[in-house]
Amino acid sequence: METVLEVRDIVTRFGADVVHDGVSFAVRRGEVVALIGGSGTGKSVLLKEMIGLMRPTSGSVHLLGTDVCRSGEEEMNGLRRRFGMLFQDGALFSSLSVAENIAVPLREHTDLPDALIAPLVGFKLSLVGLSPDTGRKTPAELSGGMRKRVALARALALEPEILFLDEPTSGLDPIGARAFDSLVRTLSDSLGLTVFMVTHDLDTLLSIIDRTIALSTGKVIADGPVAAVMRSDHPWIREYFSARAPHEEGSR
Amino acid sequence: MAEAPCWIAPELESGANILYLQGRWRLAHVPGIAAEVAALRLAGDHCVLDGSRLEEIDTAAGFVLLHRLAELGCIARTVEVRQMAEAHARLLTLVRERMAAPSVASPTRHRGAIERVGHAVVLVGRILRAQVSFLGRVGVELAALLRRPGLFRLKETVSQFETVTLDAIGIAALVTFLIGIVFAYLLGVQAQRYGAAIFVVDGVGLAICRELSPILVAVIVAGRSGAAFTAQIGSMKVQEETDAIRTLGLSPIQVLVVPRLVAIMTGLPLLVFVGDLAGIAGGMLIASLQLDISPTAFLARLHTVLPLKAVVVGLVKAPVFAAFIALIACRMGLAVARDARSVGENTTSTVVQSIVWVIVLDAIFAVVLQRLGI
Repeated sequence: METVLEVRDIVTRFGADVVHDGVSFAVRRGEVVALIGGSGTGKSVLLKEMIGLMRPTSGSVHLLGTDVCRSGEEEMNGLRRRFGMLFQDGALFSSLSVAENIAVPLREHTDLPDALIAPLVGFKLSLVGLSPDTGRKTPAELSGGMRKRVALARALALEPEILFLDEPTSGLDPIGARAFDSLVRTLSDSLGLTVFMVTHDLDTLLSIIDRTIALSTGKVIADGPVAAVMRSDHPWIREYFSARAPHEEGSR
Repeated sequence: MAEAPCWIAPELESGANILYLQGRWRLAHVPGIAAEVAALRLAGDHCVLDGSRLEEIDTAAGFVLLHRLAELGCIARTVEVRQMAEAHARLLTLVRERMAAPSVASPTRHRGAIERVGHAVVLVGRILRAQVSFLGRVGVELAALLRRPGLFRLKETVSQFETVTLDAIGIAALVTFLIGIVFAYLLGVQAQRYGAAIFVVDGVGLAICRELSPILVAVIVAGRSGAAFTAQIGSMKVQEETDAIRTLGLSPIQVLVVPRLVAIMTGLPLLVFVGDLAGIAGGMLIASLQLDISPTAFLARLHTVLPLKAVVVGLVKAPVFAAFIALIACRMGLAVARDARSVGENTTSTVVQSIVWVIVLDAIFAVVLQRLGI
C-alpha cells in the first residue's frame, strides 16, 4: 500500500528542552494508527507539526506527497482540503450554530449550492450519530461527547483522505468512547480513510487500532501491531500496559 | 468510461431499473452528480445499482444518490447492489444506515420593529434587576468582610490597584491635558472679544475640576479597566475557574469582585486629581500662549476664584462612578456563558453600560447638588 504520511528525523527543541530527538515513521493508506506516550513527550506537538501548524527544528514531514515543512501557503491550502483534524476539545466556532460549523468547509472549499449543503450537513450529523435537529443548537449547548461528534462531522465534511484525531475519546464516558471508536473504525473501513490519532485510551488501542507507535524521551521506542508493542520490554511500555493487565486477565 | 461527464446510466433490463454508476463519485463532482440524479426517473420502486464502472465513491456523493432514490420511493428493501467493489458497497450501506429524515432548515424569524423595541426594553429591565440583586450579594459579602477582616485579599487588591491606577496615569493625564487646551482655547476666543480674557481661568478651573476631569477619567477607566475586568472574569468563567473557586469553599465575590471594587474605588479619585492638574496645565499653556496670561498670574487668579468645593465635588463623584463601573464589569464577567463569543459580547456591554451610567450619575449629581446649593 502507498505511504500517505512519512515523518523523518524530526527534532524539536523549545529553548534547551529537546522534545523530539530524531522521530521517524511512516503510515500507509487505510491504516488506523495510534501514537502513545506519557504526558509531556510531545505527542500533540508532533501532531501539530504533521499538519503544518508548527515547524520542527529539523527533519521533514511528507503528507500525501507534500513536504509540509517546506511548502508555501498556497500548497498547504490545497493540502488542507485533503485531511481532517479533530481537536481535543472540538474547537467548534462558538459564534456559529452546529450546522453552520459543519457547513464552513463546504462553503469555503466547494461550489455546492445551499440547497445541497443543508441536507448534506444533516447527513453528516447523522453519520456521526447525532440527530439533524442538533444542527440548530449552538456549540455552547452541547455536551462534551456531542461536541466531539460535531467536530468529527466538520473534519469529515470535505471527505478527507487522512483524519487526525487528538485524544478523541478523552472526556467521554466508556459507552460514548466505545461508540466513537467503532464509528471511527467503520468510517475507516468503509471510506478507506487513514486515521492517525494521539490517544491515552487502552480500550481504543485494543479494539480498533492496526498499529501503535510509542514515543518516549523524544524517540520512537516501539512501532508495530498492538500485540507486538505490548510484548516490548521497554519499562515505560510495560508500565503502561500493566495498568490494564489485571482486568484483562480477569475477563479472559 | 463515457467521454462526457456522465455519472449515471439508467437502463431497463427485463423490467428492472438498472443504474450504472460511472467514474469518480467524489465531493468535487457532487454538483454535477446531483443535477443528473435529480433528473432520474424510475419505472416502479425497484432498482439495481451496478458498480462495475464505479471508480470511487465518497459519502457526500453516496448520500446524494440514496437521498434521491428514497425520494423516488426506493428504500433499503427495494435497492439492490451488484458488481460493486466491497468497499464501495460497504460505504453505501453505511450511508443508508445513517441517512436520517431530510433536515428541514429552520426559517429564521424576522422581528418587526415594535417587537425589537419591546425586546430591548425587557432586556434592559432584566439587566437592571440582575444588577440590583448583584449589588445586594456584594453588600452581603462586604458586611461579612467587616466581621472577618481576615478575608480581605490585600495582595490581589494592590496588584489590581497598580494596573487600574498607576498604569492609567499617563493616558488620563494626556486626555485631560488636551481637553484643558481645547476648552481654554474655545473659551479664550469668546472671552477676548469682551476683554475678559482673565475669566478663562475661572472657567477652566471650574469646568475641569468639577465636570470634565471626573467624567473623562471615568470613561477612560470604564473602557480600560471595566473591559479588562469583564474579560478576565469571563474567561475564568469559561475555564470553570469560578466553579473551582466555589468548590474550594471560597466566594467568587470575595476573591474576584471585592479586590477589584476596592482597587478601582480608591484609584479613580487619584486619577481624577491627576486629571485636574493636567487639565489646568493645559489651560495654563493656552492662556500664556494665546491670551498673554502668565502662569504666575494664572495660578494667582486660580487661587482666588476656584472654590475648594468644586475640586471636592469632582473627587467625591469619582468613587461613585468607580463603584458602578466595577459592579457592572464584574457582574457582566460572571454572567458570561461558556463560550468565547459571550466574553466579547459582555465586554462590549460592560463598556456601554458603564459609560451610560457615568453620564446618568453625573446628571443626577448636577441636579441634586444644585438643589442642595453646593
